[in-house]
Amino acid sequence: MLVVSSIDLSSSLRAMKPAKFLSSSAKGFTLNLNNDYRYMKTGYYVSLHAEILGNQVIPSCENIIDSSRTPILLLRAARAGIPTMKAIVTDSVKKIATELGFPVVVYAVNPFIHEGYKTAANQTALYRAVKSLGMNYKFAVCAQPLKGEMSTVKSFFGKCDDPEIQPIAEEVYELFQIPICQLHIQKIAGKAYLSGLQPIDKTELDPADVKRISREVLHLYMQGDHISG
Amino acid sequence: MGKIACFVEKYNFSDPREESALHNFKHAAEEQDHEFHFLFREDINDIPNYNAIFIRATTDPLYTSYIVSKTAWELGLKVIDDPESIKICANKIHQYALFEKYNVPYISTVFLNKDELHHKKILDIFHTLGKPVVIKAPYTSFSRYVEKAACETSFRDIAKRYFKKSDTIAIQKFTPTQFDWRVGVLNDQVLYTCKYMIPTGKWKHGAKLRGKPTVVWGRTVTMKKQTTPLKLRETALKACRVVGKGLYGVDVKEVDGEFVVVEVNDNPSIYAGYEDLRDRDIYSKIIDYLTE
Repeated sequence: MLVVSSIDLSSSLRAMKPAKFLSSSAKGFTLNLNNDYRYMKTGYYVSLHAEILGNQVIPSCENIIDSSRTPILLLRAARAGIPTMKAIVTDSVKKIATELGFPVVVYAVNPFIHEGYKTAANQTALYRAVKSLGMNYKFAVCAQPLKGEMSTVKSFFGKCDDPEIQPIAEEVYELFQIPICQLHIQKIAGKAYLSGLQPIDKTELDPADVKRISREVLHLYMQGDHISG
Repeated sequence: MGKIACFVEKYNFSDPREESALHNFKHAAEEQDHEFHFLFREDINDIPNYNAIFIRATTDPLYTSYIVSKTAWELGLKVIDDPESIKICANKIHQYALFEKYNVPYISTVFLNKDELHHKKILDIFHTLGKPVVIKAPYTSFSRYVEKAACETSFRDIAKRYFKKSDTIAIQKFTPTQFDWRVGVLNDQVLYTCKYMIPTGKWKHGAKLRGKPTVVWGRTVTMKKQTTPLKLRETALKACRVVGKGLYGVDVKEVDGEFVVVEVNDNPSIYAGYEDLRDRDIYSKIIDYLTE
């Protein structure tokens, strides 16, 4: 197993830096670890390089793109049986208000905004959210009804700190195989619904997180041949 | 009888030649008893009501068009452009890596990563490709984000701008020609052939006038499909095969009798009176493909 990591893992693990991997022809199952898998960033190009070499790689380019596009994330998740709320893609405030009511949670669907979401409890707040996340109505947004409370957790290989969210984190990892990410979850009466998936800022990865990631990588090393993408 | 949705944005109707082509698609579909509706971004949730999706808005994994394409594909609809074609065509790094892997003749290219932008690397590139070089952002389209650099200063200036969006960019050998061949391909068949002429004194089909934002476009000379040189046809089809089986516009340069691929574009321009001038059946062929 080739581990390509932008994160400094514990010293006992052998990992290649992305720059080195990108100039190599290293063959083998590739585990691409990066806090930021955004399209056209280094984390994406590592997976692309692995795919071009014919390596099986986690995560795949397709999963990187799909998981970062909220409407596709939710569509694929729902089709795999992961609980999600109804979502609509539109640039119309009226349509959101009519079809979903209030309050709502709104995500950007454009090339420039890749993190965060906004909630809106009334028409004025929704106008502000759609204007801001749609970059002055130039782009569409993805809106979901907000029936409970929003919660954000770090997910490392589908493991997180919140027992209520843990089952959904596992399922999302099984489907999209994004090793390092944060999940936005809506909790309604103790049940978790997937709302969004976004990168983690490197500054938000604390030593305990790195230790946890290293432990998971070690576990995968131990699995050896049983790993499959 | 099928129901086709054509995903468009408002700008698709700003050029009368494109608007006319869109109406030609509608007419061709209706002549075959299919329904053809324009689908705007506020109608995306209606995708499940259609049998096929034809995307005319600009494609990119980060644009709404990808959401449309992937949604349709996930629902099992026939779709042009399919998500895999968008993924490969919208990122020239991906595309050239595939050309290299599958021996498609393409213009001499090296990749440059963000952390490699230093004096020695730039000198190496000038040594390998000569001066000037063409610096290309992976997300280039309509001749945008492609610039020429003949010295280290301008190289750094252009590269830094492109690195804001992509951590890898492409550097290519400067290969001036009077025109680029444009071969329209659908499902492994040549649909039309044109020459995209380079405006006098410029080096690409769409070029800015010095100091002005106005873009001047070279003429489009449409050829009879039957007269497409065999080698050009083979090169264009080979390049498309590494991308998929959809609708593509392949840009090819002819240098000393050899054909080298500049790029394969999904979502190729189709303007009434231009690409369709010699082959009026391109509309019905695309409708056939969507409804077969």
